[in-house]
Amino acid sequence: MENKHITIFHGPQHPGITGNMSVELDLIGETIQKATTHVGYLHRGFEKLVERRTVIQAFTIVCRICVPEPDPNEANFAMAVEELADLEVTPRAKYIRTMVLELSRLAAQFLWIGGQSGSIGLYAVGQWAIADRDLILDLFEELTGARVYHMYIYPGGVRRDLPDGFLGRVSKLLTYMKKRLKDYDDIFINNASFKARAIGVGVISQEEAIKNGYVGQVLRGCGIKADVRKDAPYLVYDELEFEVPTQTAGDVYARALVRRDEMNQSIHILEQLIEKIPDGEVMIKMPTHRKLKLKKDDTWVKIESARGEFAYYMAGDGTENIRRMQVRGPSLVHAFTLLEKLLVGAELSDVALIMNSLGICPPEIER
Amino acid sequence: MQTNMFTQIKNQFATNDIIIKRKDLYKVEVAKERLFDLIKFIGNHYDYKTLNAITCTDWIEDGHFAITYMLTTLDRTSTFMVQTLINREDAHINSLVDDFAQSEIMERDLAEMYGIDFIGNKNLIELSLENWVHTPPLRREFDTLEFVNKHLTFREGRDDNIDTKKEAKRLRAIKKAEKEALKKAKEEAKAKEENQDGK
Amino acid sequence: MTEGFLQEQRTLEGDLNSENSHQNSVDFLMNWFRKRSIFVLAYGTGCGAIEMPPTFTSRYDAERLGIRGAATPRQADVIIVSGYCSYKTLRRIIRTYEQMSNPKYVLALGSCTVNGGMYWDSYNTIKKLEDYMPVDMYVNGCMPRPESILEGFIQLQKDIGNGKASSWQKYEENYEFYRKNQEAVLGEKVAPSYEADWYLYDGGL
Repeated sequence: MENKHITIFHGPQHPGITGNMSVELDLIGETIQKATTHVGYLHRGFEKLVERRTVIQAFTIVCRICVPEPDPNEANFAMAVEELADLEVTPRAKYIRTMVLELSRLAAQFLWIGGQSGSIGLYAVGQWAIADRDLILDLFEELTGARVYHMYIYPGGVRRDLPDGFLGRVSKLLTYMKKRLKDYDDIFINNASFKARAIGVGVISQEEAIKNGYVGQVLRGCGIKADVRKDAPYLVYDELEFEVPTQTAGDVYARALVRRDEMNQSIHILEQLIEKIPDGEVMIKMPTHRKLKLKKDDTWVKIESARGEFAYYMAGDGTENIRRMQVRGPSLVHAFTLLEKLLVGAELSDVALIMNSLGICPPEIER
Repeated sequence: MQTNMFTQIKNQFATNDIIIKRKDLYKVEVAKERLFDLIKFIGNHYDYKTLNAITCTDWIEDGHFAITYMLTTLDRTSTFMVQTLINREDAHINSLVDDFAQSEIMERDLAEMYGIDFIGNKNLIELSLENWVHTPPLRREFDTLEFVNKHLTFREGRDDNIDTKKEAKRLRAIKKAEKEALKKAKEEAKAKEENQDGK
Repeated sequence: MTEGFLQEQRTLEGDLNSENSHQNSVDFLMNWFRKRSIFVLAYGTGCGAIEMPPTFTSRYDAERLGIRGAATPRQADVIIVSGYCSYKTLRRIIRTYEQMSNPKYVLALGSCTVNGGMYWDSYNTIKKLEDYMPVDMYVNGCMPRPESILEGFIQLQKDIGNGKASSWQKYEENYEFYRKNQEAVLGEKVAPSYEADWYLYDGGL
């Protein structure tokens, strides 16, 4: 039969795509024969902009590299500058940074629930998830002044101390969240239509995952206990106790279960932080911005974000400008090497499902 | 165990001393011809089997690019940065696509931004830019502000592109000239008064 | 300002007898219907797309004003340009805008559409959106809060009711001006060509 092959763009303007990117699909009927990813719609040239700026000028644009979850960017930038400028942070600032990172992880997991449920048509779950995420953003607004782009974690500490009664409000929110997440189990995780769509779709094997450098829930869904907070601890994670959940099936449903367990672990970590936080200063005495010079050296820092391992490479050259800053987000390898392999043989309606499950976020791929 | 590894690497591959940056981060600098043997060596003998990233820094004053490969062990507790220097003009180096599948996309990114040719990688097409005909953007000789002022226009009414140092000097010179003119006028008036009194 | 919603309750309605209303009664009635039912195209072109889910879901609830999402440009009324535009995105936005049918409106979200924002020295973004597309309403901020986006929509509804929001006519009348600016930045081929038409393969129909 003629006219069997079709090429379509699951394109930048699409309700089922996670951000502004496109996937070009070759189809026969509804089965995908070949997939090619296209990015570059959000390229702003961050790595060139940062080279013209000093540290405090670059700090204002660094948080906009990853739009759904901006805090790991600020924390990585601060840690890299502190290594290159030999600054040591106070313990109270480290605890506050950890609290901000864990709250940001919870908010990002709620956004994932909204996206994943929207991709199979359970729109009611999306309404719940975005509304619950807004309660966390209210706390951020009280602490830092902004809902989405906080600009709070600065090299040398954090910009201001906690307001009065803040820890009490966080505890109240955590109590509400623990009760509310059980409702999400009923409506989403144990939903029969989600299970029917998700089990057996997008399977990844363990050897391939290790060799190709995949990170995050992709590894944990295949049975490998990979977490930067346990393997190479940073901030105060070596003083806290928590577990790393894993599953063995390696499909979309396994990754969803891993994410659901991680939300429980985040709440557990936050409760420990609220009890253990010490007193003290939050910001050390820093030189003025033309005098904050970086050594002629380079470094590599990494953090566990909600979607996987997030790493920064930074090189200085003895002046107050940054010579080179490279961002290695978790989605770079997932969007190209993994997605183009997983989509061969899948159905057209599974594209949005698989993309949401891998957690692909285009602004950090092309910066 | 690690001093054993360090002496082995230093003897076999003729490198400098290996730098320990943190408990979990080492760095070594090696010549371009021995780079891939070193990567295979630490992969087979010491478990550094995962390639995490490939980065590049432009040292224009020394005339070379510094390309760094980040390799991690299987249990993800230790990272090794392997660095090599290549020429800025006619930059080329062998590709790692046969050993690591993820290096295809990382090398494609660097080839577009710096103009480096990775021999063996068949997919070095444009990634973030579209129909770009000027110099590769991350090279140090590409001036981004000059490019913007040449090709795009801003909204009127915003004088943000003036150099603040020059503008401050100009305003200071105007103020100084006004002050001197005022002083001179006062002196002249005083001299005129004395003349009148003297008369 | 009181906390919570910044608008007073009565401006939510949009008066029937608004000022500067030089329209005949048929146009007045058509605009009254149009402003109560606005379909927004599902296209998150930049940073601002992260504050659109809160605006359109249950907490800030734009649907009580008649605003909901549409999947294709053929069925949409408003395109929201949420933030900076790189050259690659500008091509797709222009093509999508030309695919929408009249009457259509453009809402520019964020400070990057006004004068480049914080990427003012970037080699890959455009600095002034009005050179390439006509804009009906600007909403400032980085990011604008959901309440600001709703204020922008209410102001747009007022302008539609008055007959002042007529950017599609401006685009048709000054097409040479916009096309010249687009080609200066994007080259000769402004929009990507229609090459994925399946019925052209294998010898055609």
